[in-house]
Formats: sequence, C-alpha cells, structure tokens
Amino acid sequence: MANKENDIILTMTGVVKTFPGVKALDDVSIQVRRGSVHGIVGENGAGKSTLMKILSGVYTKDKGTIIFDGETIETTTPHQAMQRGLSIIYQELNLVNTMTAGENIYLGRFSEVNGMKGTHQKAREALDRIGSDIDTWTLVQDLSVSRKQMVEIAKALSFDSKLIIMDEPSSSLTQDEMKALAKIINQLRSEGISVIYISHKLDEIFDFCDTVTVMRDGKVIDTRPVEEFTRMDMISMMVGRSIEKEFPERPRKVSTPLMEVEGIKTKKLHDISFTLNKGEILGLVGLVGAGRTEIVRALFGADKIKAGTIKLDGEVVAIRNPRDAMKRGISFVPEDRKQQGLILPFSVENNISIATLKNLYKFGILDKNKERQIAEKHIKTLKIKTPTARTAVESLSGGNQQKCIIGRWMEIQPRILIMDEPTRGIDVGAKYEIYLLMKDIVENGGSVILISSELPEVLNMSNRVLTVCDGRINGEFDPEKASVDEIMAKALGVSVEGAMA
Amino acid sequence: MNKALMKAVKEYLVLLLVLGLVLITAVIEPKFITSGNMTNIMRQFGPLIMVAMGMTFVIIGGYIDLSVAGIMSLVAVVTLSLIDPIGQVGAIFVGLLIGAAAGFLNSLVITRSGAMTQAEGLFISYGMSVLYGGTALLYTGGVTNHLSYIESNYSLFTLIGSGTVGIFSVSFIIFLFLLLILYIFQNFTYTGRAICLTGGNKTAANLTGINVNRTIIIIWTISGFMAGVSSIVLFSRVTTASPVLGKGFELNAILAVVVGGTSLKGGKGSVARTVLGAMLVILLSNSMNLLGVTVYMQNVMKGLLLILAIWLDNLKGRR
Ligand SMILES: Nc1ncnc2c1ncn2[C@@H]1O[C@H](COP(=O)(O)OP(=O)(O)OP(=O)(O)O)[C@@H](O)[C@H]1O
Ligand SMILES: [Mg+2]
Repeated sequence: MANKENDIILTMTGVVKTFPGVKALDDVSIQVRRGSVHGIVGENGAGKSTLMKILSGVYTKDKGTIIFDGETIETTTPHQAMQRGLSIIYQELNLVNTMTAGENIYLGRFSEVNGMKGTHQKAREALDRIGSDIDTWTLVQDLSVSRKQMVEIAKALSFDSKLIIMDEPSSSLTQDEMKALAKIINQLRSEGISVIYISHKLDEIFDFCDTVTVMRDGKVIDTRPVEEFTRMDMISMMVGRSIEKEFPERPRKVSTPLMEVEGIKTKKLHDISFTLNKGEILGLVGLVGAGRTEIVRALFGADKIKAGTIKLDGEVVAIRNPRDAMKRGISFVPEDRKQQGLILPFSVENNISIATLKNLYKFGILDKNKERQIAEKHIKTLKIKTPTARTAVESLSGGNQQKCIIGRWMEIQPRILIMDEPTRGIDVGAKYEIYLLMKDIVENGGSVILISSELPEVLNMSNRVLTVCDGRINGEFDPEKASVDEIMAKALGVSVEGAMA
Repeated sequence: MNKALMKAVKEYLVLLLVLGLVLITAVIEPKFITSGNMTNIMRQFGPLIMVAMGMTFVIIGGYIDLSVAGIMSLVAVVTLSLIDPIGQVGAIFVGLLIGAAAGFLNSLVITRSGAMTQAEGLFISYGMSVLYGGTALLYTGGVTNHLSYIESNYSLFTLIGSGTVGIFSVSFIIFLFLLLILYIFQNFTYTGRAICLTGGNKTAANLTGINVNRTIIIIWTISGFMAGVSSIVLFSRVTTASPVLGKGFELNAILAVVVGGTSLKGGKGSVARTVLGAMLVILLSNSMNLLGVTVYMQNVMKGLLLILAIWLDNLKGRR
C-alpha cells in the first residue's frame, strides 16, 4: 500500500509556455500521485488551463519535461493523449450541439462500440454511472448548461483513463449534480485513478482534494497536502496579499421603489410581480431552469412580454427590446458569456466599448482614441489580464473574459444592473472586486438584481431574496434573518415542514 | 521570425497569387500585356467587383446572398424597357430602386420569418433569386432586348458601357467612387461596425443594444443595390438586356469575396480586400482564356480556388 502511494502518475518539470505578449507558464513543476485528487487553484489567467492544455496536446510547451505513467512525452496530440490514458474535461464546453448526447459521448469511436445501438447502450451506462438521467437521444443543443457539463463528464469517464483532468467542471452544476460529481470523484480515487481538479470554489477543493497546488502569474507558489492549508492561507497565496473576508459589508437598506413589476407573463413565466427598491441588491434564488434567467430577460427586453407592466419611478415604461432597456439605464450581464456576452473574434476594446459604441461617433466617424481610453480604464480598474487592449478577447482566460463584459456595462453607469451568475469562473480576489462594484452602484443610487447559484454569495450580498420556482415567485426573505434551509426549501417548492422532516 | 513570415504569407497570399499569375501569363503569352487586353480586363472587372462589394457586407454580416443573379437579370430587363416610356435618367433611377427594393425584400423575409441562420438565409436568397429571375423571364417573355432597338436617347448607357475619361473607363470611375463610399462606410461609421459585430455573434450583439434586424436589412439592401448598379453597367457594355443576364454572378462574387480573405464565418472582412479577390478571379479567367484553357477546366480551377480560400481562412484561426 505504501509503495502504491508513492507511485507517481505524472511529473511535469520546468514547463514554460509563452503566447504573444504573455508568459502563461514560467518554470512550472508539478507531481501527481496515482489515485489521488490533486487540486489546482489560482487567479484568473494564472495559467491553470494552459498547463492542462499542454498535457492534453492542445498547445505545445516551449520548454520542460513531462513524464506520464513512466514514459517521457515530448509532443502529443489530443488523440494520442487519450490513448495513453489521459482525458480532460475542458473549461469551455466542447460538444457538438447538433448531435445527440449519446453520440457526443462516443464521438469518433462508434466502431469501437458497435455502431449506433451500441453507442446509445454504452452512453446510457456511462450516464447511469454518474447518476444522470439524461436521455441519450436528446440533442445536446436542447440540454441546459449544467446537463451539457454532465455529458462532458460522462464522456471523459468513458475512456479507460489513468488520469482525468477536470477544468472547472462544476461551474454550472446544480446541487444534486454536484453531489453526483463528488461521488464519482471518490469512486475514481478508490479505483486508483488520478484526478486533477481545477476550481475557483474553495469548498470543493477542500472537500475533494488530497493535495493542492497554488499558482499565480504562471508560477507554482506552493504544493501541500490539503490539511496543511487554511482557507485564508490559500486565498492570500492565490492573490499575493492577505485578505480578511470574502464578502464586503452588506449595503444599507432603502425602500423607495425604483422598478415595480406587475403581473408579467412570458412563454415560461406566470404572473411575476415584485418591486426593486432604490439602492438595493435583490437576490433571486432558485434551481437551474426555475425561471430566474427568464425573469431578468423579460425585464431587459430580450424575451417577449405577453402581459403585465413594468414601472420605473412610478411610470409605466415599454421595454420591447434590449435597446429600450438600455435607454432606461438597465444593463444585463448574461449567464453564458461565450454565446450571449462576447463577440469572440473581436478585440478586448471592441467588446468593452460595444454598449456605449454609439456615443463614440463624432460627425459619424468613430473616435478610436476614446474607445481605447475607455477600454484601458476598465482594464485597469477591473485588473483584466490582457497583453493589450487590441488582443482578441477569445485568447483571454475565462475569468478575464467575464471581466470584459462587466467593464462594458459599468461604462453605461447603469441605474439597474442585472447580473446573471456574474462570478461564474471568477477567482476569489476578482469576486470581491465585483462585490465592491455592486456596492458602489447601489451606494450611488442604482440597484442590482443578482442571480447566483452560489447561495453564500446571494445571501451575503442581498438586502432581500426572492425565491423562484416553476416560473413563479413563491417567497420573499430577509437573508439576515431567514435560514438557508428555509430559503432552499421554498426554492425547491416543498413546504418547510417537509424539508425539515 | 519563421512564424511571422508564415503569417505574412497567409495574409497576403492572394496578392502574391495575383502577382505571380500576372507574371507567368505575361511571360508565356505576350498578348496579355497589350493595351487591348488591359481594357478588356478593366471592363470585365467592373460588374463583378460591384456585386462582390455588396456581397462582402452580407458575408461579414453572417449571410450569403444568392439572389444577386436574379436581381441583376430583373433590373436589366426592366431598366431597358423603361428608357422609351420615361427617359434614360428615370430608367436608371427605377432600375437602382428595384435592386435596392429586392434586397430589402430579402431581408424582410429573413427577419419576419425568423429564419435567421446562415443556412436559412442562403436558401431564402436562392428562392428569391429564382423568383426575381422568373419575373424577368415573365416580363420579357424570354426575349433578349437590345439597346439599339430603343428609339429615344440612350447616350448615358453608351457612356457607362464604353465611355472613357483619360485612360480610365467610365465604369472604372464608378467603381472607384463606390469603393470610396463603401470603404468609409465600413471602416468609420457606426453601422459599419454594427455589421461586423452582428456577424460575429448575433445573440450577443442584440443583448448589447445593437439593432440586429436593422443591420440585417441594411446589408441585404446594399447587396441588392450593388447588384442593380452592376446590372446596369453590364448591360450597357454588352448593349443587350437578357433575362438571364446575372447567371453565374453570384458564385463569382462569393469567390471574389472569399478569395479576398473575408471569412464565411462572418464578423470579419473588408471591401478593399474583396477588390483584390475580384482582380484575381478576373485575371485567372483572362489568363486561362489566353492560354487556351477550356471553360470546363476553368470551372474546375475556380472550384479549387474557392476551397483553397476557405481552407486558408480556417488555418488563420488556428494556433
Ligand atoms: N491561445 C492563447 N493565446 C494567447 N494568450 C493566451 C492563450 N491562451 C491563454 N492565454 C493567456 O495565458 C494566460 C493564462 O491563461 P489560462 O487560460 O491558462 O488561465 P487560467 O488559470 O485557466 O484562468 P481562469 O481561471 O480564468 O480560467 C492568460 O494571461 C491568457 O490571456
Ligand atoms: Mg482556465
């Protein structure tokens, strides 16, 4: 047993990788034991995903050595890496939208599993193994983000792997799915399979991992057994300075109504009514698919409203499209940054300037200097890690892409800022900065609507919390007084007694 | 260093190809550089580049316009038939209006029907092309009309078709003028940027306050209008307005745009580069004609060129 514990599955030594303008990895060394769960944490842009992509053959290293399962690996392709027993769940989903879930799991391996029938049979087994009831015949495009992620996980597990890399696999999983993932990871460990687990959710890191490596600015800061870390240690190592708390003070309460929503109906919503006060952060809590996103999309004019009224400052306003909403000072950070937020082939500055683009034209001609200045301002205040403002936004790390979207909306100085999962994939330091931004807005008389699947975030930041269940608002809570169980029970649609039992 | 060189080669491959082609043809076939042939090339260039410039906007906006062929045919036959009843200036005006209106109609069908994907747009424009082309045939009863049968004054058409100013043909000057306007429109105006952003990601553009429907209407209308201009220039030169005048122009225009380096994925591209692409397409057919390559073989070459251009575009995106 002791022998086996010392057995090393992966050794990377002195790995260096440079992209134009950035040294993404600077002399990185890391060792992973067989049958262990090895966590990697670090700020956005620290180089975590790049390191993993070198392992899986998406990028080639500039320098350094890699020994996997006793074999020195010079160059590799994603296909070869898989054959060696290394599979990876990428941070950005990589499924073929127009194919079924089952086909995606055995993509390119149909012959190994005896054609279509075998594919669906085997895919069913793979999904059962992770406790998921997704129908293998559903098209991936019809699945929610969290279910897509489950398909990715099933796919990675369907290879006979010795090492499975999970790059933020949980960023949009529901609680039940999260529990299933925990079970899977424990099972893998007991089978002697190693897992590299990357996440910004430190709870998971402490729950799952045996060893944790902290990275910052392309370097390894430290690797230790998880017991030797405290949460605050880990955070200060990641951000390079000490941090006392994860959430700022809750903003003070106000109760002059800013927006009154009455009886809104859309395709998925029934009779939504609530009031948003001036200077308040209003949290929406509910399961994925409960209708939280639909509520804010309706307010922003992204979905058609069939009935009901929206009042701003006591006056009924017509919001037929996002432009109407923006004119009234409403802004919206959507949940899916790649599909709904960013224009990927464009530069950081183009993506930041877009919401205020019209104002940058003088006599019909674009003032490019002003565009640059705006971008530089937000790059600085939000600490967006990018070589220049002209860099293509698609080459930024996930968290930094999110910051670009937030910068875009700060520029219109919103009266109402709607944020749908604003901190997904964002590191602890940057999260704190986003919380401060939210506070800043409400302290200057604006309001924030916050949707988040991370309960601590909603409960610590909001002045009021509404629970959403099945397209309806079914409860209102004061997060300072209500208990987590109470709120969750309401969001799940069960009576409190039922939940307690 | 090596990487930078590779990048430059990929970036300017089209230009290099044009130059190489010119040199090779000039060496093998001296007739190529006679002034007669040069004028010939300039004349062929006009109509194609005009359609291709309009097409560039549609492709940047994330669509492909197959209807230009039908629009060109329709505009030609209607314009010619109107010279006698309403005079030549009026006829040109109505012709251009029909071009723009046809493009506008395409965009209405796309935005109203909600069939907004690239593939749906492609087939809608194909359907519209058949519709416009069919209308042209119905209108004329399938007969080709000649400018010389016109009784009233048609000097304007003669000027457009074969007039020169100094060493430049009038059609070339029209082209330069349109290029200037479209270049400024694309690179400096809000709508020009909005077109790129819409082509880059329609959903995100809509959620950041860009009027996506308006943008779509604008690109298709530009394309229809440019097809109208092209049609008038073309039939003025050949002095006949056939109801199938535009046939084949859609593919050559797409070829010119893609060879010029505008991505079929949408979001990126430039009218200026389309000019290079169109030049290559014209030079290619001209030199192949001179070298005695059959029309069938020329089609094979064009097909290969299109595939090569799309391939190169995909390579650019890789690391
Ligand atoms: N293809 C690329 N081209 C240019 N730069 C890149 C590319 N991929 C990554 N980078 C840069 O390398 C650095 C490391 O990025 P990486 O994606 O590894 O960060 P990360 O630690 O995974 O961050 P996150 O937590 O936000 O996912 C960043 O500065 C990023 O901008
Ligand atoms: Mg990453």
